[in-house]
Amino acid sequence: MKRKYEIGFIINPEVTEEVVKKIIDSVVEVIKKGDGTIENIDEWGRRKFAYPIGRFHEGIYVFIDTDAPGAMYAALERRLKLTENIIRFIVLRLDDKLKKANRLIKKWQRGEKLARKAQEAGKEETAPRRYSSAPEKEVGNDE
Amino acid sequence: MNNDTHEGGAPGPGGKGQKKFFFSRRKYCVFCKDRIKFIDFKNYKTLESFVLETGKILPGRVTGTCNYHQKQLTKAIKRARHMAFLKYVEPKRD
Repeated sequence: MKRKYEIGFIINPEVTEEVVKKIIDSVVEVIKKGDGTIENIDEWGRRKFAYPIGRFHEGIYVFIDTDAPGAMYAALERRLKLTENIIRFIVLRLDDKLKKANRLIKKWQRGEKLARKAQEAGKEETAPRRYSSAPEKEVGNDE
Repeated sequence: MNNDTHEGGAPGPGGKGQKKFFFSRRKYCVFCKDRIKFIDFKNYKTLESFVLETGKILPGRVTGTCNYHQKQLTKAIKRARHMAFLKYVEPKRD
């Protein structure tokens, strides 16, 4: 079964552009060998870190979105760990989060329907119905 | 500020007329308002507003974030820390 993964890694900033390309290609190759397809490659370029990692204060950020079976993960992790110029990496599985989000969307839709109904009801008979329960309180306050 | 919310939070019918004007704006979940399904750790700029200067994550009761999004938010912040978008918690300097 194919799953959506997001892979992010930080490359050593002292490295030349060619090496950066090579590293990205090598990661892509591993994914493709594991029957994965690449949906998007995001190269953010250089960015300063919020805190120093080892001796580095900045790094080259790359993010890759993929559709791949879970079996690919072991090989991918091995490659990311063993590549010298990758300082740090992160691999996220996105599917289940999106599934959970569907529940939330349904809730929102329900809320919107209610809101729409309330609005329509409000338009037809505007103020009197909305504040039907309010007058009693107001009278109480006036006293 | 906090006192105001406390008084304004429960305007019972028994309250006297004058106190009614101390309403402060009601808190709401920013992510629910924008209909965000999944909080991405790459949007570190939005995450920054839910973190103290020391790097501590603010509780949902302070920011008004709903439970569903607060859970996601904490994870996203921790991921952002790992990727050096945000800093880890710094000790107090006193």
